[in-house]
Amino acid sequence: MVTLQSYLTLSALVFSIGITGIIINRKNIIIVMMCTELLLISVNFNFIAFSHQLQDLSGQVFVFFILTVAAAEAAIGLAILVALYRNKKSISVSELNTLRN
Amino acid sequence: MMLLEIIFYVFASVLICASLGVILFKNPVYSAFSLILAFITTGLLWLLLEAEFLAIVLVLVYVGAVMVLFLFVIMMLNINIEEENSGFTKIAPIAIFLGLVIAAELIALFWIQSDHFIGEASFSSSDISANNTLLLGTELFTKYILSFEIAGFILLLAIIVSISLTLRSRKNVKKQVARDQISADPKKRVRMVDIKKGDM
Repeated sequence: MVTLQSYLTLSALVFSIGITGIIINRKNIIIVMMCTELLLISVNFNFIAFSHQLQDLSGQVFVFFILTVAAAEAAIGLAILVALYRNKKSISVSELNTLRN
Repeated sequence: MMLLEIIFYVFASVLICASLGVILFKNPVYSAFSLILAFITTGLLWLLLEAEFLAIVLVLVYVGAVMVLFLFVIMMLNINIEEENSGFTKIAPIAIFLGLVIAAELIALFWIQSDHFIGEASFSSSDISANNTLLLGTELFTKYILSFEIAGFILLLAIIVSISLTLRSRKNVKKQVARDQISADPKKRVRMVDIKKGDM
């Protein structure tokens, strides 16, 4: 029988992989944004699992809104990325130090 | 019931491998494809949890729109892969350590406090699985109507912001400016000159 703990463990693993990816990647912002999507998907996984467990639809409604905000976030992030690349000719994380000093 | 377990564990391992692939591939295009696999697998696992509408929405919106946007940007930007991945191993031990600690904490939390969660997820056909789309739509358009409108507004905002961020007006390009053409005033353009006979 697949228990709730199995789903939660799976989502915890995906979450930690996403966080590892954000920290490990210093050279490419696109990978960082993809890892953010991984984090969001693992959180959504928790919501869906609990929604199924508690037989309550509010969790799924919340996932719907998270998907909306995540799509908006991805669009704006990629727009910022394109503007950044146009100005600096690079999308490396370690070169984004314009606001330092 | 045994079949469900097999399906769950197969898809779970595919999901873990795909999300590892996202962070381990050197080429960002491969990472994007790996993320697409992760999304599709997640959608299939949500089908197991009787969230059919959201599973379809995940595949349609994420794989169909967001990941295509990602791939579009990746291929448009023309990144030098070999250069971008130098210095990968310097911070890797810390990152892996942090990831392991977070995973261990979360999993320990779930399994130690397991009596707070009621045993096993039931796959019985109950009220929630009757017609997932209908129930979700009813909930959205009655109880959560204000949040729904705000979500639509956020999407509109995202459109406006991303267009205005990427729109650029080039200098030194010859083009028509409709506003100037329409607002042209004959009094400013035409100068009436009295020419007397024998002036020239």
